[in-house]
Amino acid sequence: MESAASPVERRTGSKNWIDYIQKDLPEHLDWWPYTLGAIPLTLFGLLVTTGLLLTFYYVPSPDQAYESVEQITHEVYLGWFVRGVHKFSVDLMILFLLFHVIRVFLTRAYRTPGELKWVSGSIVFFVTLGMGFTGYSLVYDNVSYWGMTVVTSMLGNLPVVGLPLMYLLRGGEEVSGGTLLRLYDLHTKLLPVLLGGLVLGHVIIVRLKGFAEVKGSRGFHPFYPEHTLVMGAIAVGLLVLIVDLVMIFPPTLGPPANTQEVASDVSPPWYFSAAYMWITLLPGPLSLWSLMGGAGLFVVYPFLDRVLLERGWPMPFVNVVVGVLAVLVFVALMVLDVRM
Amino acid sequence: MAIIHDDLGRRRFLSQAVMGFGLLFGMGTLALRFLQFLVPSPKPKRYEAVLIGSLSRVPVGEAVPMDLSGQKIVVLRTNEEVLAFSRRCTDLGCLVSWSKEREQFLCPCHQGVFDKTGKNIAGPPPRPLDRFEVVTRGDQLYVNIQSS
Ligand code: FES
Repeated sequence: MESAASPVERRTGSKNWIDYIQKDLPEHLDWWPYTLGAIPLTLFGLLVTTGLLLTFYYVPSPDQAYESVEQITHEVYLGWFVRGVHKFSVDLMILFLLFHVIRVFLTRAYRTPGELKWVSGSIVFFVTLGMGFTGYSLVYDNVSYWGMTVVTSMLGNLPVVGLPLMYLLRGGEEVSGGTLLRLYDLHTKLLPVLLGGLVLGHVIIVRLKGFAEVKGSRGFHPFYPEHTLVMGAIAVGLLVLIVDLVMIFPPTLGPPANTQEVASDVSPPWYFSAAYMWITLLPGPLSLWSLMGGAGLFVVYPFLDRVLLERGWPMPFVNVVVGVLAVLVFVALMVLDVRM
Repeated sequence: MAIIHDDLGRRRFLSQAVMGFGLLFGMGTLALRFLQFLVPSPKPKRYEAVLIGSLSRVPVGEAVPMDLSGQKIVVLRTNEEVLAFSRRCTDLGCLVSWSKEREQFLCPCHQGVFDKTGKNIAGPPPRPLDRFEVVTRGDQLYVNIQSS
């Protein structure tokens, strides 16, 4: 599993942290599906930067939140641009995380000793979704307000921990100004720190455990400068893409939250629309349990794979079927959401 | 000699175990208190009769939404009686609205449907809408709501 010893290591026979950074990379990492993990990392950096900028104008209180977002979008110099970059970065981050997950899933790169890579990565994925949810709530338009209500009630339905968790998030019985402040704290403090730590942990684990072995990939190329250059080129490409996307689709703002009436369209952002359709189609407890169960299975999948393999299941084939099915269901639910 | 060492070893182990345990206990209590700080406790509830106006405020076949100090209710007058429901959808807490044509309460969030007695008849909601007692005194309507 270990890649070849670095030149320094060969000379001195000992490893220090520099060796881990400089460790040569297997050549298959030059092939683009194997760079999909580094893209979310780049986007994360962009999100932190633009997010920091946004906190200078955003006010987390129910009567000023929407106005301050409006101010950012329409008055502040380049405010629309910064907000747009923030929005598109998160969309792309989740999209590329999905691609990355699909690639790892299909190549079964989580096999021993890669379980920890998968588990840490899947938690990164869920925390990123948490960032998406809390971020959307801050805008305080209709989708935000009713989204907060629905998601917190859903968590409140969990046994034992449910109610305290709901109170913890809402800061009281009902969705209120306290809720907005709590979600703001989560979005700008707790979750970013957690996510940063998890991402760092994930990268370190990947470096320590080594990259997955790929048949036919025998050669190695140095991390610096070759691989760094490839990553740099990808980062620049992403930046160009995002800037263009923001120019073509500048950020918009829905009507402000109306706490007395639910707007007819409260569809969440695309990455939640499958889950949203799911809870629309199935009765409450069933949808909640299936979502939680699915998430749990997702996290422990490497271990499930091992058990099933021991029982003689053809796992590479099973994964292709499961992967294709999951993508189809996701897309079908999304289409249904758009249609309804 | 060996016995003395063992004894010492055991003593050290015990004292470290006690200290470690104490430390964990102390930090655990602290963490628990911090959590309690963050989770507000539910306020006690009491019943209250709130005046919502005269009967003429609610025409037959109509349902009037009201906000009684945070409690969002809807008062429906059918041919026979006057009913008051909480507007909070029993699925995930969105607000239901009365549809006059369909004579049903509809929740836009996940297409939950309740009939005019508040019974859940379609969509994800697991139980009927919460109902409040309506009291008529003369021409005036009162609703018994739970408030904190
Ligand atoms: S909240 Fe009313 S149907 Fe889900």
